[in-house]
Amino acid sequence: MTNKWHLKEIVLLSILGVVFAVIYLLAYGVGQGLVGFLTPFGLGPLGYEFIFGIWFIVSIIAAYIIRKPGAAFTSELIAGTVQVLIGSPAGPMLIISAAIQGLGAEFAFAVTKWRDYRLRVLIAAGVFAAVFSFVWHFYQSGFFAYAIGLVAVMFIIRIISGALLAGLLGKWISDQLAKTGVLRGYALGKELQKKRERNDAA
Amino acid sequence: MISSINPTVKAGAILVPGVLLGLMFDIFTPLVYLIFIILVTFAFTDISLKRWLLIFSPFVLFIVSFSWTRMLYTSESFQGGAILFEFWYFQVTTEALMVSISLALRSLCFIALSLLFILTTDSTKLMLSLMQQLKLPPKITYGVLAGYRFLPTFKHELEILRQAHRIRGVGRAKGIKGRLQQFKRYSIPLLANAIRKAERVANAMESKGFTGDRNRTHYHEMKVRRRDWVFFGSMVGALFLTVFMSYYFGYLNIFGREIN
Repeated sequence: MTNKWHLKEIVLLSILGVVFAVIYLLAYGVGQGLVGFLTPFGLGPLGYEFIFGIWFIVSIIAAYIIRKPGAAFTSELIAGTVQVLIGSPAGPMLIISAAIQGLGAEFAFAVTKWRDYRLRVLIAAGVFAAVFSFVWHFYQSGFFAYAIGLVAVMFIIRIISGALLAGLLGKWISDQLAKTGVLRGYALGKELQKKRERNDAA
Repeated sequence: MISSINPTVKAGAILVPGVLLGLMFDIFTPLVYLIFIILVTFAFTDISLKRWLLIFSPFVLFIVSFSWTRMLYTSESFQGGAILFEFWYFQVTTEALMVSISLALRSLCFIALSLLFILTTDSTKLMLSLMQQLKLPPKITYGVLAGYRFLPTFKHELEILRQAHRIRGVGRAKGIKGRLQQFKRYSIPLLANAIRKAERVANAMESKGFTGDRNRTHYHEMKVRRRDWVFFGSMVGALFLTVFMSYYFGYLNIFGREIN
């Protein structure tokens, strides 16, 4: 895979992984706050579900910018590994969950053969990341022992969160970045450039 | 000492028991294994008790919250046993209490395992070991290490952005709309700068002759020695021993099925 990649694309993946690893770690704090708020109602575990989409966002951004097979998976894996480097208390187990979420997002792009990067595919990537990660947590965190109703509510909230916070927000951030011109050397920037030229010609 | 164990093997020694613990739904297995991890932590590392507790204890609080919910909303397979207490429309049975304690102990095991890893592992060595033992492409490992080195500069850049805004009379945002505006004002330039840096680093690496070739020599050679495997074997072996003990005493419960 890496032979077809330019070095600058790989370094971009890594830098995105590093930046979002920090954001992911901050999101834990937000999640813990929500959990604390919901605990008196006996709904603590729902706290994380609302913001779960944020943990998939780097997949969507990286895939949308670079547009090559493996971008979604690798970027998420890097973000997970960097969190371990920084010292996340979730430790090496995080690398496994990152890989699974990344696979979920990559799956959506694989279905379109890595050719389609419209909003609906990005949202699907967020949703699949949510589905894959939920299956993993079902095993690892013992959701098996929860009442089926609660598990269903958690699942639905996580999917919506994945669609909005990863798919929609990810596209918005990447488009804003493309506008600044720093992405000229990458697929998304090139596409924007072409569009502009076409508009100028018309 | 655990800090000198090869990082990749160490990660494996944490991951394998971590994944297998997901199968256990009794109290005995995770409790005994937790005690084992804590013993290993203090016998074979120089982490001070105070530092460990400082990181560990906030999670206890957090796990209590999760267990509370788990106890109230238990699936049907764990609703047997006598009713302990009732309030609102919840009924808490002995089995529900047991399974929530088991899952809480499991989470504590995960955290204790993770601390054993992150408090004894140097991040550069981990990346070097991932490249040399797991044959991760050097392009990615060196890319990540370069990106990782930029972390401290992000803080500095945020400060510069803030000052630049202030000097131009952009104050702190009020209200939700203002907050969103502020988020955009900070996040996009920070990311744009990071991307510029990535491009520059990639150019610098290439101009210095970095090809990403896998057949390269290493200044720091990471090796796997016999004691690394001894560590791996004892972490995984201890779990199997615990499971066997738990089976022997008739506690073992895998996915809600009691095995004895």
